Amino acid sequence: MIKVDHIHKDFVSPKKYPGFRGAVKGLFSNEKVIKKAVDDISFTIEKGEIVGYIGSNGAGKSTTIKMMTGILTPTKGSCEVAGINPSRNRKENAQNIGVVFGQRTQLWWDLPLSESFTILKEIYNVSDEMFQAQMDFLNRVLGLPEFFDRPVRTLSLGQRMRADLGAALLHNPKVLYLDEPTIGLDLVVKDNIRKAIKEINEKYQTTVILTTHDIGDIEELCSRIIIIDEGKKIYDGSLAALKEIYGTKRTVTVEIREPEKVKNLCLAEILGVGQEDCTASFDKESSTLNVTFNKHKIQVPQILSAVMERVEIKDVQIQETELAQIVKEIYNHGMREGS
Amino acid sequence: MGKRLKIYLPFAANEMKRQMAYKGAFYLFILIDLFSSFIRYYLWMAIYGSSGQEVLGGLSRSEMVVYVFMVYVTSSVVMISISTKVSDDVVMGTVAMNLIKPIDYRLSLISQAFGALMYRFLVPCIFIWSGLEIYKVTVLGLTLAGGKEILLYLLSCIMSFMIYVLFDFCFGMIAFFTTYIFGLRLVKEALLGFLTGQLIPISFFPKAVRQVFDFLPFSSMVYTPVMIYLGKYTGSTLMFMLLRQAAWVMILYLLGSLIWKKVTKRLVVLGG
Repeated sequence: MIKVDHIHKDFVSPKKYPGFRGAVKGLFSNEKVIKKAVDDISFTIEKGEIVGYIGSNGAGKSTTIKMMTGILTPTKGSCEVAGINPSRNRKENAQNIGVVFGQRTQLWWDLPLSESFTILKEIYNVSDEMFQAQMDFLNRVLGLPEFFDRPVRTLSLGQRMRADLGAALLHNPKVLYLDEPTIGLDLVVKDNIRKAIKEINEKYQTTVILTTHDIGDIEELCSRIIIIDEGKKIYDGSLAALKEIYGTKRTVTVEIREPEKVKNLCLAEILGVGQEDCTASFDKESSTLNVTFNKHKIQVPQILSAVMERVEIKDVQIQETELAQIVKEIYNHGMREGS
Repeated sequence: MGKRLKIYLPFAANEMKRQMAYKGAFYLFILIDLFSSFIRYYLWMAIYGSSGQEVLGGLSRSEMVVYVFMVYVTSSVVMISISTKVSDDVVMGTVAMNLIKPIDYRLSLISQAFGALMYRFLVPCIFIWSGLEIYKVTVLGLTLAGGKEILLYLLSCIMSFMIYVLFDFCFGMIAFFTTYIFGLRLVKEALLGFLTGQLIPISFFPKAVRQVFDFLPFSSMVYTPVMIYLGKYTGSTLMFMLLRQAAWVMILYLLGSLIWKKVTKRLVVLGG
């Protein structure tokens, strides 16, 4: 459905110098600074996939999306969406795509929401029956009727976002780009938006590309993720595989009745593994023992039986390394050194 | 072609609705413009009074009254700024939202301007125009404008509108390079006041200056339709004036397409 082939985007801006002297110097200098926003990215996305496109702020996510929608022209390389080159045939491409930029709205600010939908119906050339069917569906999933007659400027952020999503879907696009669709929304609205996206994807096999900083969005929606950093692709694969590679560490928290007995406990030695594969720390205040271990080397029962042989325990908690943790680590170190 | 244009109709209709939504601002603008027209009227009357001549720059005293108020009517329907909108779109980054739709940006802007034109024509212009005609007959003792003049005037006005918006689109493209064009817009408006003949009829200028003005597209924006309305052009001159307007529409259309192509190549969307 989407083919991105060695795409580059450079932004050229005049060089700025610091201070007042710098500002004067800037008037006469002609130096340019080139910033590589997107640096040689390639990927292919199949029909019906929901792909999470993630990266830290300024990594080049939005720039890539803008090139796939035809707003920006790539400096080098090409992309193809449903067989169309978006920057060369912007209008044809626009007929196939729906876009939600979380921080902007495509609705008519001063007019009632219903008007925006009527205009979009004309623009995308949606037939009356199709419009009716699509409106029924969108009203059900997004709950539009409660604010359908109000001017867009009076809508709350959550309502506006639902309306925007509806507007992007009215013409039943083949590809849906969502640039931070849940930014600034409360948990209930977030949940509704996610459900709606899922339902649309299942019903129409819509290809969805989602950029977000909300790990919940990714865990709930995406089967595949692409991570970029400083304009370069650093990971492309399934969510499970990412967790497999990075989420090898697990933690067991054991609450203990007789804290003084575990002071000299060395679990790594007892279980016969290296120190790096099993570390334990004891927290006096809550009298809990935190054991972090490599899940490929040791199993939870082994640790528990080793502890239970020696002390009496009250409670056990097992934590999976969270995706948020993994992503944070990737942003901090970059994947190249990591793998 | 008809089907292609049909999708731009809602833009025009919506602009009318939007103008009605902000009617306070709208009436204020009418008032300010009308006020300056009256100042111009009294100024010219004083000039005619002190010169002792009945005809100045090819216009009689009564023709000057018609000129001043027809300039008001013409410029309020013709000069509908779309560069303001372009600049807002660039500054706020909303231009991206226009580009994700299967529509032509320039045509959508022109359609919006056309909506504003219709609204302005219906609300203040037609009343002021009729008021002027009544005044012409009852006070100035002139005859009513003929059907032919009115039709030719309206035709010329439509072309003037196209010239103005196509020019203003090209002008608005500067915003893609400089982001803000507020200052430039003030300069543009001040210059247009002269070049279009809004302030002083072009026939008042020395011959050399007039030739320069004739060469520019601006005299076709306001001066030409008003002179047609006054019946100053006949026969082949009239044909020439209308053809010149049509030529400017073509030239500015092509120029706009060319600039737009260049601009989209190096477009930067502000604000994430």
